[in-house]
Amino acid sequence: MSDEDSGEFEEDRFVPAFSEAPVGAILGSAAAALSAVGTIAIGALMLLIVADVIGRNFLDAPVTGVSEIAARSVVAIVFLQVPAAILQRRLTRADFLVRRIETASPAAVSAIEAVFSVVGAIVFALILWASWPKLPESWATAEFFGVQGVWTIPTWPFRGITVLGCALAVMAALYRTTDEIRTIRSLP
Amino acid sequence: QQQITVNIGSSHPEQNIWVYAMKNTFQPEVNRILEEGGNEYQVNWVESYAGTLYKFTDTREAVMDGIVDVGMVGTVWEGANMPLQNVTYFTPFATEDHRMIIEIFDDLSENLPELKNSWAENGMVHLSSLITDSYDIYATFPVSSMEDLQNRKLNAPGTSANWLRETGATPVDGALTTYYTNIQTGVTEGTLSFASGILPTRVYEVAPELTRVGIGSMYFGGIAANQSFFEGLPAPVQNAMREAAQATSIAHGDYVADLAARAIDEMQEAGLTIHELPEEEKEAWVNGLPNIVEPWLEQTGEAGEVVLKAYFDALRERGAEPLRAWDEGL
Amino acid sequence: MTTLAFGFVLIGVLIALVLLGMQIAYALFGVAFVGIWMIRDNIDLAFRMLELTAYSGIADYLFATIPLFVLMGLLVSVSNVGRDTFEVAEDLLRRMICGLGVATVAANTIFAAVTGVSIASAAVFTRVAVPEMKRHGYRPSFSAGTVAGSSVLGMLIPPSLLLIIYGVLAEVSIGGMFIAGIIPGLMLAGGFVAMLISVTILFPGFVLEDPEGTRQRRLDRAQESMPLNVMVSKLIPIILLVILVLGGLYTGFFTPTEAGGVGAFGALVVALSRRSLNRKKLWQVMKQTGVISVSILLLLVAASFYSRMLAIAGLPNAIAGLVTESGFGPLGFLFFYALIILLMGMILDSTSILLIMVPIAAPIAQGMGIDLMHFGIVTVIAVEIGLLTPPFGISVFTVHNTLNDPSVSVEQIFGATLPFIAVMLAVLVIVALVPSTVTLFL
Ligand code: NA
Ligand code: NA
Repeated sequence: MSDEDSGEFEEDRFVPAFSEAPVGAILGSAAAALSAVGTIAIGALMLLIVADVIGRNFLDAPVTGVSEIAARSVVAIVFLQVPAAILQRRLTRADFLVRRIETASPAAVSAIEAVFSVVGAIVFALILWASWPKLPESWATAEFFGVQGVWTIPTWPFRGITVLGCALAVMAALYRTTDEIRTIRSLP
Repeated sequence: QQQITVNIGSSHPEQNIWVYAMKNTFQPEVNRILEEGGNEYQVNWVESYAGTLYKFTDTREAVMDGIVDVGMVGTVWEGANMPLQNVTYFTPFATEDHRMIIEIFDDLSENLPELKNSWAENGMVHLSSLITDSYDIYATFPVSSMEDLQNRKLNAPGTSANWLRETGATPVDGALTTYYTNIQTGVTEGTLSFASGILPTRVYEVAPELTRVGIGSMYFGGIAANQSFFEGLPAPVQNAMREAAQATSIAHGDYVADLAARAIDEMQEAGLTIHELPEEEKEAWVNGLPNIVEPWLEQTGEAGEVVLKAYFDALRERGAEPLRAWDEGL
Repeated sequence: MTTLAFGFVLIGVLIALVLLGMQIAYALFGVAFVGIWMIRDNIDLAFRMLELTAYSGIADYLFATIPLFVLMGLLVSVSNVGRDTFEVAEDLLRRMICGLGVATVAANTIFAAVTGVSIASAAVFTRVAVPEMKRHGYRPSFSAGTVAGSSVLGMLIPPSLLLIIYGVLAEVSIGGMFIAGIIPGLMLAGGFVAMLISVTILFPGFVLEDPEGTRQRRLDRAQESMPLNVMVSKLIPIILLVILVLGGLYTGFFTPTEAGGVGAFGALVVALSRRSLNRKKLWQVMKQTGVISVSILLLLVAASFYSRMLAIAGLPNAIAGLVTESGFGPLGFLFFYALIILLMGMILDSTSILLIMVPIAAPIAQGMGIDLMHFGIVTVIAVEIGLLTPPFGISVFTVHNTLNDPSVSVEQIFGATLPFIAVMLAVLVIVALVPSTVTLFL
């Protein structure tokens, strides 16, 4: 039908060409891949809920554990998507001051942005540092959620996603920092 | 006089049955005992009740990690890390006497190495047992025989879903907070729950038929202290806490009894009708269940066998007559 | 410095960082981490709380439906159902001043009966209403503000996540709370309509890019109105969706939480049947859903961590102390309480405010003889205002994120929601003074 709004869906515009920026290209592709998994998870979540509603009402067979699975998935979705969101600069902020400064001094804005990105890298490094010990622990103790004898799902893949997502988020934020520094250098 | 700061907290608010005695008995008792014991120490309580620091899914980690020094730990939500404590949920129709469950688990948590170690392995010291009053059916329809459960949808989250196996009813996930709207909108037709939990959530408004089934009182968890915190306390303070914990157990049993009785009165005034499932139907129910304790025994191994046996011995010692001998063959 | 004073300093630092333009999630996480570390003088504790919050802060079915409501909004938008609805609305309300603004409020009121989360309304109508309003000469920022402002109806008209949470915390009937919310919800909707019309008359430049052109078009009698059969065929998809979701809810086939999943699936079926989706476009829509969702959800994780830091600082208890010392009468207490919530609403998310305030305040209110349902509706309206107030106004952020239009800044949307905040304050005062607005049907 109408194609006039297709401009808003630009294909992975945060992934630069490999020849121009190899690090950015690899990082961007990894983030895009992770985010694709998160995207699939959202679709799966929808199908899971619909299956439960249909199963419960028409087949007397609800899908057990939907609420817990959905609860865990929403956290996974966040950490799968966050590196791409950082590279795409989609994290929410109030940028009125920044844009005022930009007209006066683009270099100052890039410096501020670089600092903010460092803060972002630190924040995700903190979450990474806090979260990673739970990953081998949950593997070793075969930690699960659910009900023994009814249904159980191991927690380590979910803890793994947090760790992986945070690690990539740290790199994404650092890449954004170097990007801003490059911008400052390229300014006259 | 030495000041000792104790961070105490919970995922649930102060009026909650599992928190009430912490705030209203444990804290004042510790204060009183220390004062009467020479006033050498004084506890400065820092309260974080009502989930301001962590959610109900994190009660074990909160105490284990020292986010609070003393806290309510819901082992019912710790099927992976503290499965032994959930023995009651896998052995329904054991006893409706919740005070007996408190007594048994206060004893076993201290004197049965399997249970004591399980708390220690999770970096905690068990102080006082927490329970639910007996589970029954609150529904839009009365239950006079197992036939009445055919093709019904009932809220039965977590382990309680097991209790509906082979009954013809479909268990639907949920929590105390979702029952009301679930039943009101017809997503379910009732719930397996207990009086002291149903009263505050007003589920009886939409599910006015209570059928006493006697699935029984359940061990919910414990009030516990962070182990390294507790071991670092001066001996008189440790003893004060131990002593206060005993008083807390009694107060908890009384509070749940009062609340359950009050709940039944208030709910009846609000139009709740009470039915009793005939004895032979109860037996048909429990004997018709598959061996639901089997997967739990597989998960917990030898320690599970010891705990199950000790629990059922303790029940019988105290005169309880479990409707099904879940410990048979151990 | 006392812990409490330090808590207030940390709030100040947060506001400063947010105003400076730092990503709000970074600011919340960073300030809260340093706060917990300093207050308890224990960096390990800060790490452990961070881990718990990251792992389970938003691990809840309620939050899982947020991406699904976003997906539903995108699908409705991509299949042009939104455009069709607004063409009909524009046609029906063509002669009305600020017709599309009023249509947005009306549509939000109907949609509120389907969703329990304001964020969902904001996401859906950003896609549906803003492009249409822009196309018809409304200022983009005003359009976005209208969507953000009217999205609050989602939480007051049942089903509502906030009413459920309040009912649980204050131990009052949730069904009763749902009924109690109806009249104040309709008062808000009516107030919004009246406000939109008067603002358009008094300050046309605030609303429209070309007031004279729009006026001409509105008064243009030559324009043909839409034939009835076209109108019906344009409306069928949205009617089916409303029947699916409303019907499913009220016949008990699914819960308000599940409505997100079922609604998204319904929207997918509509989009496929209208042939507006090929595989590539579906994938793009899904990806867009992910990007929008993550910025909202990450904020919720960060806000949850931050509110835990405030609890450690003892802020909730301090506020309770202030109230008991104040010696207000019931009405004075009610307004003081609402004021505190409004202030908290500037920096905290709705659920956190309820979790912090209701357990402290409900017993005090009951002791003063205030009806707890009345108290609850006052609470929820006050909390809802926080969805629109800077620096942390999640509805505004949601609209801004979903819109992703560089020409519309966050603060422009904040500005455009001011008239809506004024209406909400008026309704808040009326409801506080006249308890029968709440208790009429109880
Ligand atoms: Na609603
Ligand atoms: Na706000």
